Amino acid sequence: MSPAADLATIARRQAAGINEIDPWGMDRDLVGVARSLARLRWRITVGGAENVPSTGGALLVANRRPLGATPLLVAAAIGRATERNVRFAGIVDIAPIGPILRRLGGVVARPDEIGGLLRAGHVPAVWCQPRITTSHRVGPAPVPYLAAALDAGVPVLPVAVIAPPLARRVRVDVGPPLRVPRRPGPLAAAELADSIRQAIQRMVDEASPPSWLLPG
Amino acid sequence: MNGGTRVLVSGMGSELGSLVATLLEKERWVGEVSGLDIDPPRRRLRSAAFHRIEPKDRRKMVEIVRDFDPHVVVHIAVWEPNARAHPGDAAAWTHTAAVGVLGAAAECPSLEHITVRSGIAVYGRRRGAATRPDESVTPDPTAPFGRSLLEMEGIAREAGRAADVPVTALRLAPVIGPHVPSPLGRLLRLPAVPVSLLADPAFSVIDDQDAAAAFVAAAARRVDGPVNVVSPGAITASQAVRIGGRLPLPLIGPEWRLARILTSAFGAPIPEHIHELLHRGRTADGSRALEALGVEPRLTTREVVQALYEWATVIHLRPGELAA
Repeated sequence: MSPAADLATIARRQAAGINEIDPWGMDRDLVGVARSLARLRWRITVGGAENVPSTGGALLVANRRPLGATPLLVAAAIGRATERNVRFAGIVDIAPIGPILRRLGGVVARPDEIGGLLRAGHVPAVWCQPRITTSHRVGPAPVPYLAAALDAGVPVLPVAVIAPPLARRVRVDVGPPLRVPRRPGPLAAAELADSIRQAIQRMVDEASPPSWLLPG
Repeated sequence: MNGGTRVLVSGMGSELGSLVATLLEKERWVGEVSGLDIDPPRRRLRSAAFHRIEPKDRRKMVEIVRDFDPHVVVHIAVWEPNARAHPGDAAAWTHTAAVGVLGAAAECPSLEHITVRSGIAVYGRRRGAATRPDESVTPDPTAPFGRSLLEMEGIAREAGRAADVPVTALRLAPVIGPHVPSPLGRLLRLPAVPVSLLADPAFSVIDDQDAAAAFVAAAARRVDGPVNVVSPGAITASQAVRIGGRLPLPLIGPEWRLARILTSAFGAPIPEHIHELLHRGRTADGSRALEALGVEPRLTTREVVQALYEWATVIHLRPGELAA
């Protein structure tokens, strides 16, 4: 079917109210439209998509820039490559921005929200703390969300986003699931956070130009 | 569990209470069923006894409960604002019934279990709150109905502690059914329905038959703690309205006040918790119900809403027309 016919079908479904909206507010039809729009903005290469399980919950942990569109980029890129709907955490829960982002797969950044998504078999993406000064340094991974993943017993995957500001060509690499500590407790989540930050840093370093080529 | 279990159903006059009573009558483990409410039961009950009492008459309430000496109390005497009671009365009646029925039940020597009707409104919808909370999320109600339910849950827990018996709090999504007096159901069946243009969030509901089945299962299994009872899936108000062939009226802000006055004039007032549902949504994770109660809703949220529009409308007959 042509893109115009696809859009007409989606418009008809929206008008009739038969578009499917899940309890977190995501509209599968609009996610499809967003993925197509993302291709107009970015030329995306995805590596390691096979690491994302085809069914069941999995937590993606990615690096990001402050104020960047990384969440939308990651959701569109991995969603398109794996046909899984990636839920990006961290929306502002204020209308109309919040509800619009919810339709595209956005969720509020809370450990119980992420835990609920993982138990329901979804693939949420959360973010390492953005670093403002040195763009290639990956910030600390968010421990509370990793604890939620440990509780849900789902795989945790590192995701490296290599997207220079305003660039059209971007790369998203998904690493293999990290080995999850078997023992319960706060130390397990903290150790997992360290390992995942190191894994993302390694992936970013491998995909980025050498530091001596970078300005400053 | 033997076949001589005495079950007390408070709120038996509500559609849900009557439905639960008819289902309990068919259970082998149930011996006697007795109920109380301000309204008479809405269904034909074969063996259950019914006591009609005023919600404020605590003395009579206590007397009935003590005389019956129940093994199991199914407390459905909860008044949703603008369902069967004015918002001003709803919270007070809910409180009085909870103190009277559950307080008296806690002093009964035979008491073994309490099940209460609560709602997912207890979780509230504060900005940034969990969208689909499970039972582990701390309740933080943001509307009067949610606060009233949470207070009632507290009274039930206190009664359970005093009698040393397990207490199940069934946190129901908005209950919809052909005869259920539901402010949400009435609103969605209006010819033109106000919806939030900027938000139009997702909400979930539960069919009255599914809710009743959950009460019977909770009374039989005697689970301790809260259990969400929610139909799978979700829907937005504008989707519901379009499915029903009604006219959606997208509103932004100040005109909601006028809309509430108008819908009230047309017999479908919008209480605070429904206003909140239309602006902030309301769903919950209902997966524990299957594990704890062994029941699963038969209908999805979308199917419950579709059924809402398939009910026959009221046909007004003039005297003599029926015979003709």
